[in-house]
Amino acid sequence: MEPIIRTEKVDKFYYLGRPEEVRALNQVALEIFKNRIVLLRGPSGSGKTTLLNLISTIDRPTKGRIFLFGEDISKYSDVGLSRIRQKRIGLIFQSFNLLPRLSAWENVAFPLLPLGIAEKERRRRSVEILIQLKLEKRVDHAPEQMSGGEQQRVAIARALINDPEIIMADEPTSNIDAESVKNLLEIFSDLKRKGKTIIVSSHDPIFLDFSETIFFLKDGNLMKIEEREKP
Amino acid sequence: MNRHLNFLFAAIGNIIRNKLRSLILILCLIAVLFPFICAMAISEGIKFQSMISVEEGADIYVTSDHYGSNAPISLQYLQRFQKMEGVVKVFPRVVGRSYFANQLATLVGIPAESIPKSIRLMQGEMFREKGEVMVGKGLAKAVHLQVGVHFTLSANSSKIFKVSGIFDSDTTIWSSNLILMTFEDASEFFQIRGMATDILIYTRPGYAPLLAKEIQENMGASNPDSSGPPLRVQDKSLVKRYFQRGFNYKAGVFTALFTVAFALAIPALLVVSGFGQTERRKEIGVLKATGWQTQEVMEMVTLENLVISLTSAPLAILTAMVWLKLFNGAFIAQFFIAEIGLMAPFPVPSRFLPLPCLFAFLFAMVLTMVGSLYSTWRTATIPPAEAMR
Repeated sequence: MEPIIRTEKVDKFYYLGRPEEVRALNQVALEIFKNRIVLLRGPSGSGKTTLLNLISTIDRPTKGRIFLFGEDISKYSDVGLSRIRQKRIGLIFQSFNLLPRLSAWENVAFPLLPLGIAEKERRRRSVEILIQLKLEKRVDHAPEQMSGGEQQRVAIARALINDPEIIMADEPTSNIDAESVKNLLEIFSDLKRKGKTIIVSSHDPIFLDFSETIFFLKDGNLMKIEEREKP
Repeated sequence: MNRHLNFLFAAIGNIIRNKLRSLILILCLIAVLFPFICAMAISEGIKFQSMISVEEGADIYVTSDHYGSNAPISLQYLQRFQKMEGVVKVFPRVVGRSYFANQLATLVGIPAESIPKSIRLMQGEMFREKGEVMVGKGLAKAVHLQVGVHFTLSANSSKIFKVSGIFDSDTTIWSSNLILMTFEDASEFFQIRGMATDILIYTRPGYAPLLAKEIQENMGASNPDSSGPPLRVQDKSLVKRYFQRGFNYKAGVFTALFTVAFALAIPALLVVSGFGQTERRKEIGVLKATGWQTQEVMEMVTLENLVISLTSAPLAILTAMVWLKLFNGAFIAQFFIAEIGLMAPFPVPSRFLPLPCLFAFLFAMVLTMVGSLYSTWRTATIPPAEAMR
């Protein structure tokens, strides 16, 4: 079976050629298969967020190649990468990155704007997902009027609005309470049942038992790969 | 189409949501644009009034040329000019200035029947008797003159005038400080009896250039006093050209000053439009991360600028109108009208034409675009992860 994500000797350096140069990733090669729950695990500064950014196409590698759905995205233009993100990848950021002046449904709906979908339909789709995520009472609320867990669910709804094949989450449990963590795992399980691939970058041990593939990272190097039985 | 409408509504939404930033940006644009619009309106107003004066005026003006300057001309020329073919009417005029209290008044002595049509009597009647004058509305108001009042002027206090009427005119700029009187009174006042400051010649259509040329070329022969100075002849087209040149110069001076202000406004607006730039940068990063393309981000920001410009330009025009109405074009009119100080003592003429208003909108667009497009493009073209950092 062909992996949906493959990296080949990927390096990511920050401040390249300067005295303060940081080698965030070093010769990372991995394969991720469809409909798996994948964990990128490692201590702080190990390079897991950097790796997630690279495979989610929101950052570019310094060296090496990344294949998404069998295509080498290193050669993709800015437009090509935007299209992939729009249609095939849903991102959930550590600090949620909700736009503070938009309501919950507007935050969920704004990825639909470039698709030319009318406001009524955008709202309908957004509300539908927000209801699935038990946020029906928060539809018109601004992010500041919501708890961390609720904000995260809005961010998840935004990631799902275009029905992507891959959902990537960066440290999804770092800003939410225990109850919200439980809800999050349920949502991820549900998404897996729907055939999605979930990639999580986290050092939270709660994902250890939950994940099927675990990539252990340390100092920018991929140290170990663990495959587990489906939970 | 729906896509572009979505961007437009999103742009409008952004403007409304970022109230403070939008408000500051609009106020800055108004502050930059309204002096320009005011100036253009004043310039056009003066041009318009000047052209009325020129059109109503004579076809040819003749004075003496004294060492290169205009000088009084002998009344002996009147008959000579009257006899020339194509001449319809000839009359002498005396124009001079004198202080009335602190107001500089322009005295014009002409035959009552030759008063321009744009002069409208508001109170009293036309001057008839010796010593009677008609006073412009602005001057009458400034020095509290009323019909029937007697007064003297500083240049020749022995001469006593009586106000027979107060007039208004379409050409406020020229008539506001005007005192109209008989030719004889004016020549007596300025002590130039037997002379006029100029002779006005009205001709049949098409004759003016020929007659002007004939007077100019034969001035030696036409001069009855061979030892007298040569004549200076100006026809209507020349007067128009003088006016035009004068306005172009004044408009040029103002435009130069405005360009400096405009150049200063760009960095100021860069700062203002960068107000909340960190938030904007992050927002663009999120948009890109969720699938927006650079050109889509640019389109939304351009539409934001367009809406801001479309809001600012009419507001700037409105502010200019209010400034002209309430403050009589203070601080700006003095660039175009000499010796008026900060506040003109008469209603400053103004005309709002479509072209300067269109320029105002274009200036607003340029300013907002310069202020935001480059920074947006730069943010939109870096990896979203970096923009959100």
